[in-house]
Parts: sequence; structure tokens; C-alpha cells
Amino acid sequence: MNHQYGPKGRDVSRRDFLRMATRGAAMGASIGALGSASLLRAASSASGSYKALVVMYLAGGNDSFNMVVPTNAGPYADYEESRQNLAIPQGDLLPIVPATFDGNSYGMHPSLTGMKSLFDRGKLAITANVGNLVRPVTKSQYAAGSVPLPPRLFSHNDQQSQSMKVAADRNNAIGWGGAIADQLVSMNGGSTLSPSITVAGSTPLLTGVTTQAYHLGTSGSVALSGLGGNTGAALSGTLDILRAQAQSNPLAQQFAATRGEAIELDSLISSALDGAAPLTTIFPEGSNTAAQLSMVARMIAVQGSLGLERQVFFVRKGGFDTHSDQLAAQPVLYGDVSASIAAFYQAMEELGCENNVTLAVVSEFGRTLSSNGQGTDHGWGGHFVTVGGAVAGGDIYGAMPSFVLRGDDDSGSGRMIPTTGTDQFSATLARWFGVPDGQLSTVFPNLGNFGTTHLGFMG
Amino acid sequence: MEGALGNRCATGTEALWVRSLILAGGGLLSLGCSGAEDTGSQPDWWLAFGPGEDLPESEADASRFLHQGTFGPIESEIEGLGYAGFDAWFERQGTLPPTLQRPRLSALEAAGQSVFQNQRQEAWWNSVVWGEDQLRQRLAFALSEILVVSDRSGALGNQPAGVAEYYDTLTRGALGNYRDLLEDVTKSPAMGIYLSHLRNRQGDPANNIRPDENYARELMQLFTIGLIELNLDGTPRLNGDGEEIPTYSQTDIEELSRVMTGWTYAGSANFTWGAPSMLEPMEAWPEFHDDGAKTILGGHLLPAGLTPEEDLDAALDVLFGHTNVGPFLSLRLIQRLVTSNPSAAYVQRVASVFEDDGTGERGDLFEVARAILMDDEARNGHLAAPATFGKLREPLIRMVGIWRLFDARADTGVIRYWNAQNDFGQAALRSPSVFNFFYPDFVPPGPVATAGLVAPEFQITTHTVITTSANEYRQRLYTAYPGYSGSNEHTMRLKLARELALAEDPPALIEHLNLYLMGGGMGAAMESALIGHVNATSMTAGNRPPGTQRVLDAIYLIVTSPEGALQQ
Repeated sequence: MNHQYGPKGRDVSRRDFLRMATRGAAMGASIGALGSASLLRAASSASGSYKALVVMYLAGGNDSFNMVVPTNAGPYADYEESRQNLAIPQGDLLPIVPATFDGNSYGMHPSLTGMKSLFDRGKLAITANVGNLVRPVTKSQYAAGSVPLPPRLFSHNDQQSQSMKVAADRNNAIGWGGAIADQLVSMNGGSTLSPSITVAGSTPLLTGVTTQAYHLGTSGSVALSGLGGNTGAALSGTLDILRAQAQSNPLAQQFAATRGEAIELDSLISSALDGAAPLTTIFPEGSNTAAQLSMVARMIAVQGSLGLERQVFFVRKGGFDTHSDQLAAQPVLYGDVSASIAAFYQAMEELGCENNVTLAVVSEFGRTLSSNGQGTDHGWGGHFVTVGGAVAGGDIYGAMPSFVLRGDDDSGSGRMIPTTGTDQFSATLARWFGVPDGQLSTVFPNLGNFGTTHLGFMG
Repeated sequence: MEGALGNRCATGTEALWVRSLILAGGGLLSLGCSGAEDTGSQPDWWLAFGPGEDLPESEADASRFLHQGTFGPIESEIEGLGYAGFDAWFERQGTLPPTLQRPRLSALEAAGQSVFQNQRQEAWWNSVVWGEDQLRQRLAFALSEILVVSDRSGALGNQPAGVAEYYDTLTRGALGNYRDLLEDVTKSPAMGIYLSHLRNRQGDPANNIRPDENYARELMQLFTIGLIELNLDGTPRLNGDGEEIPTYSQTDIEELSRVMTGWTYAGSANFTWGAPSMLEPMEAWPEFHDDGAKTILGGHLLPAGLTPEEDLDAALDVLFGHTNVGPFLSLRLIQRLVTSNPSAAYVQRVASVFEDDGTGERGDLFEVARAILMDDEARNGHLAAPATFGKLREPLIRMVGIWRLFDARADTGVIRYWNAQNDFGQAALRSPSVFNFFYPDFVPPGPVATAGLVAPEFQITTHTVITTSANEYRQRLYTAYPGYSGSNEHTMRLKLARELALAEDPPALIEHLNLYLMGGGMGAAMESALIGHVNATSMTAGNRPPGTQRVLDAIYLIVTSPEGALQQ
């Protein structure tokens, strides 16, 4: 895989041509909407150096110890003993065969049919027991308090924020998605559109130093209404005057800046999206997760016409804080996630972009291996997932924890001590995205505390 | 006074209702044009006698105060405040009965109509737009963003009456004592479902089952003491090494989770199943309660053998008594009402009132509200520190304010606006999580971050919402003016008589709107741009009735402008 910044003369000229084509379409010139769209489609599928990272955040703390479960007798018995009423029956699990044998066999949650199929095809990798760490920690070190730990473990917003930032223990850390976008934004040819796009509202993950997230709705960008005709033009003119006026209060400045970006980028994005043919891939209906991923796919389809070489997207699905009613809730959550991811991968194949786009599925923490009777509570380590043609899939990376309560991996009540740090996982993605090896420890200041800085799931 | 009323009531109105209220130092007379019967709607005129001594300095001061302490000023409130003064205003607000949501839903049910969350939203709009108990309503809404439950949680989605009852709990308690409110919230079945302490039972160690920790954690982190020890002024208290001090440990959560056991629906025939009563406080079943000894916050021993009620009382007393609660809650309420970045001294002044309202009472929310709104920083921060004082208006509150100011009504009498979150990124009790629509310490990257400030409301002010909210204001203005041909029975028809009368005098029109929509805070450049815009718009522009385009444009431009979005 090419990680270089090098000049891309061929791409640039193609982009210029496409810009002309789009302009022609907008002017109603001889290239019709359909013709223009198929040119765009051809461009994106041929764009070999383009890369997009899509971070899918399972908010609330994904109980991933029910996502991937050991199926051979001993470990399954440990799992069942720890999980009690929340254990998935052995026979219901979807068996997977990881390329690397760690002595156990595994199965996926019965609702993850789409993801299981991607695993079987070598397009999906599991990284086991990942969590926020400052440096590796053993149970005895944890008990003795002899190693620095991420502050405020087990708290939602704190762990969420830490998992999204370049270091768990630094209050003013930037988001790791924003940090890697900062590193590679220069490849985007000066586009006014940020490389970082969230389709799920504000997120610290995409807050960099030089790059900030653009917010996109699930049905695309939105234009200010009522600005047509004479009265609309007059209104538009005064809106522009008001937002350009100097403000002494930073909140008013911020509002003016956001309004300006919204107007400018809407015109850029909507003209690109309007010129693209609809995807034929069918995303699950009535699913907000699918709607978000569908929007990401539509944006990836027009990356060529927007002149973008690197993009980071943020999507979010909530509802994973399964303190109660977990047995009923989890199948619904996983069914939605799995079907949405399967459709997204299919859409990438349709665009010919499946090797250019990597989807990472992460969460603020795993949940307690033990049950509270109706569900699970806030834990620490949990499994992360990566999906894409560039992923060395069909395998489990990192180390599975023991499924024994009060065992060596249990910090208490089945809050499992992570065996891989979030920073290692994120840095592996950053390296694939094109951050040079020498820059990784600058981007992730705690990375040097860990032995392995790239986990192998991106080849 | 007859003449004054004549200006306010439609020509030919004869039926008037009269409401009187005798206060300690005087009295108050309210009159309305909406019919002979007092239906609890906003008065068209009110007169206080026994003039107050603590009058607002100006109409602009009164307007700013009403932007902070209510869902937005209306003419009679500014005039009444100017005559009766702040004390009388607070006294009156303290005596007004709460405008509640559940009675409206019950009435619908009694009439054989189905009740969904849509109807709960209608009831919310009704309370905040038309309720006279505006201080209580504004506080209740602020509390609904602190003591969060949400109908976006699956289990509460089909419990509109239960969620409305929860909001009513906040409304009833908004001007009462915070200890009482904490207890009511804790025992609310809606909260019990949302943070899952309902039907939570004692652990079963032999089977590796522990009590649910959810409520125990969020009660401490979000509702009472927060994560780190605070000084009275809200700044972190540091240890000898200059480090922040955590307020609780995982062990404290586990201990408190044992307190939160044994509670289920009132009247349930069985602890774990049975028809839920969403409308009464939960009841305890001692046999499902962990009655072993517990240590709360590392030092407070709850002896073995306490009943569930005694355990809960004792634990809430410990949390409520913690020195963090005053600064923790004061900061959040100041942020909801007045400014995102209060000075430490302001927080301390308010927290001191939380600690002792002057009569020895701790946690008196009415006096806390008064302290927040009457503080010198609230009244004069826009002059003393214009670069740091103020907050971004919540778009939902701005929408309410527009309807209040222009006395909007639909022919149906119902405000049929069900999904405000799609336009504004927020709607009543509809947050994506217990962490509310925005965090109190949210910092948007850009000018706010550079200035070292926080601005919670920017968490929902995305590129999308900044546009959809403007579009919604537009829709609610340009399709609801007098004489609009496309309106229907659901249209919230605006009354624009005062504004239309000023349409031929652009400076006066802008001055009037500046007073009501911006508390008089409009800068000279903005004022000049708006007057220029109105001058350039002909009286008959847009094929609308004379002056209408001018008035609508001016309102729209103000509420969507950077300065208008800022509440100072």
C-alpha cells in the first residue's frame, strides 16, 4: 500500500476535468446530469490513492464480550459462569475460524450475520480487549496503583472523550481523527471542505489543530430556505452583511463562522451530490445507522469531484448502555449494526472503493463480564472491529482475556483490564491512513509506552 | 387604563376577564381580552399597586431579565416589572400555581383520544408559551437538562404520560428544595426505568450477580457532586501535590448501588413483573433490598438493617449535604439561564445562597434562582465584561420566545409541533443520553476555544442545525403573518399589529425589536444594516400586506444573526 504524499499529476488532471464537467452540467451545457454522474462514478472507482477512514462509535459502552464468544468447552464454561443469565447459548453462536489459532474456537453473536460473513471473506478483523490505557497495566499493578491509569475509569463521558483523543491522560488532547486529518490535509489540494466530516453531530474525535469537523445531516447538507426571488436576494445580502460584521464576543464570532461555513460548504456539497447517480446498494430502511453510513457512502462517491484524497468520517449509534433489558436490547442493536455495515461494504464494492475505505467500530468501554441481573455495568476493555478490503481480516488480533471472574484480567466485577491500548489501535489505522511511522509517536504521545505500535490488522 | 386596554384588545372586544392577587406590599390586577372567563392565559394588561422600590433600570434591563428568567419577554411583563419591581415579580412567580402537562394528557384520554409523545410535546409547548408561571417553567426546563430522562430511550418511548409526569415533577419542584426534588426524581418510575434502578435487586454473589450501578453513578456524577472536589466558587479543590481530588471511587459506586435496591412500580403485585404505574412514586419491597451495612462516600456508615426508605433517605442526605452540591448545581443553573462562563465569585455568591437562603435552609431553589438572576453579574455583565459574558441562546427557547412575543395562537388551541429536535437539535426530555444535548464544559473549536471559554449550546449548533433552525424560524414567520393565505387551523398565527404600525418608521421598528428580541443589546453596525435593509424593502414587497415583508425580514434577520443568537 502506498503511504507516500507524492505528486499525483494524473489525479489532479482528472479532477480538473471533472470540475469542468460538473460546471458544464450545472450550466445546462451539453453534458447532461446522467453523463456527468457516470463520469464521477468512473473517477471514484479509479482513484487508487484515495483513503477514507470511517469511525463508527457504539455509544454507551458496547458489551462486546457477547459479540465474540469462546465456543470450546473450557472457556465457554468460564464465560457462562461469569455471565450467568446473559450468556449466549453455545449453539446459537455463529462459528468463525480465525486465521491465527490461539487455542480456542470462537463464535459471533447470532445477530451479526452480515459481519460474520465479512469475517469469513477476510474483510473483517477483530481486535480483542482494547481499552483506554496510559501504558500497559497488570492486575497487580492495578491493585497497587503503581502504574498511571486513565482518569475516571468507567465513567461514560470521560472514557468516551479519552477514547476519541490522542492520549487518555491529557485534558487538552486533540481528537485522534482530527490529528491524523491534520497530518494529511495537505493532500486535499486546498479544498475548503474539511477532511473530517461527522454525520452524527459534535464529536471531540474530529477536533484537530488545523482541521475541524464539518457537520453533515443524514440526507446531505441543508440550504438556507427562502433566499430566492427579489426579496430572498435582499435577505441573503443582509444575512451576509450581518455575519461579516466584527463581533467582540467569541460566541458571536463562533456563530458567524459556523453560519458562513454552513452556507459555503452547502453549495459545494449539494452540487457534488446532485450530480452523482444514486447508489444501487440498498441500505436497511428505517435505520439511522444505515442512513448515516449511506450518507458517508454518497460522500465517498463524490470525493473525486470534490478533489479529496483523505477523509475521516464519524458515525454513531447509541443505545449500548445496556444496564437493563440487555437480552432483549442487544440482538436489536447488533442486527442493526451488522446489516448497516454489510450494506456499507457492499456500497464500497459498488464504487470500487472497498480497498480505499476502512471502517473501524469502537466504543468507550466494554462492559462488566458479570451480570447485574438484567444487564451489565460499565467496564473497561472490549473488542473493536475493522472492516474493509485493506483490512487483514478473518482474524483476531491482540489477546483475548480470560473469561474468569476475579482472574488475572479482571480488575473487579469483570471490568476487564485491556490487553491492547486504544492508542495502539488508533495508531495502526493512522499508519494505514498515511501518517509516516516517524510521526506516529508525535500524534499519539503515549504510544511509546506500548511494545507494539502496529497491530497488524491493516496488513 | 381603559385607553391602554383599548390598544391591546381587538376593536369591539367587550368581554374581559379580571384576576386579582394581593401581595404583602401591594397588589396586582390582571386583565385579559380573550373572553369573559379567565382560562389561565397570559394577561393583556396587569397593574401592580404599591410601587416597588427595586425597579429595573430601564425597559432594556427588564427585557434582559425576562430573557434570562423566563421564555422571553412580552409587553405586559416588561411594563409590569417596570412598575412593580423585581421583588414583586418574584413574589408573584412564587405564588402562581404550576402549569402542568399531565392534566392535559389526561383530558385527552378522557375524551377518548390517543396520547403519544407528540401530545406530550404539545403539552410542553402549551406550558412554556402560555404558562404564567414563567420563572418556574424556565427553571423546570433547565432542570430537565440536568436531571435528564429521555423519551429516546426505548423503554420510555411508549410512556408519554410517565414522561410528562416526570416533567411535572420537575415543574412542581423547580422552586422548592433540591433535597425534596432529588428524592422525587429518585423515586420517579421514569427515572427508575431510564437509569435502571427500578426492579434492581440485591446482589446474588453465589451467582456472580451484583446490583445495577447505573443510577448510583449518575446520581453522584451528574445530579449532585460531580467528579472532583470543588471549592464553593466552583473551582477544583487541589491536594498538596496540586492535583484534583476525585469525589468518589468505584467502591463508593458499588456501595451506593446497594442502597438503590428493592424499588419497583407502585402497587405492583410482583417485584419483577406486573402492570406498571408510571404516575406514582416507586415503592420499596424490603425482601429485594440489600439491607447490609454500607459506607457512603468513604465515610458515612449506613448500619445494617435499615429499610429501603431509610437507606435511601440517609444516602440522599449524605449526597445533598456534600459541599460540592452548591457550586455544582449553581454553575449549571447559571449556565442555563445567564452565562456560559460565570466568574468564580458569581458561582460562589449563588452557591452560598444554596447553602443558606438566609433562613438557614439549604437547597432553596427559589432563592437560588433569585440569586442567579439578581446578581450584579447577571444584571450588568453585558457592560462589565462584554467579551466573556453571555450565552448562546438555546434555539428551542428562542422559538418559544417568538411565539410568546407575538402572542401566537392556532385555531385549534393546540401547538402542534412534535419533532423540534429535527430542527433545533433539542426538544423537551428528548436528549440522546443522560448527558443532555450538550455538556456544561463543551468547547467548540474556533474562536471560543481560542478565548479559553466554554459554550455548551454550540454542541448542538452544528452546520446542519444552524441552518435548519434558521429555516424553521423562517417557516414559522413567513407562513404565519396576518393575512397569509396558505395558513390552516394548526398555524401559529402571529399578532404583528405593534410591529406593522412601525413599518414605515424603520429606526423605530428596529429599536422596538431590539428591545424585545435582544434586550436592547444590538450594536450600532447591526442596527444600521437592519435599518438599511428595511428602508430598501418596499412597503408592499413580496406581495404581502403593507409592511409585512419589512417586519418579517427584520425579525428573521435578528433571530438568525450572530448578535441575536447571543444572549447577554
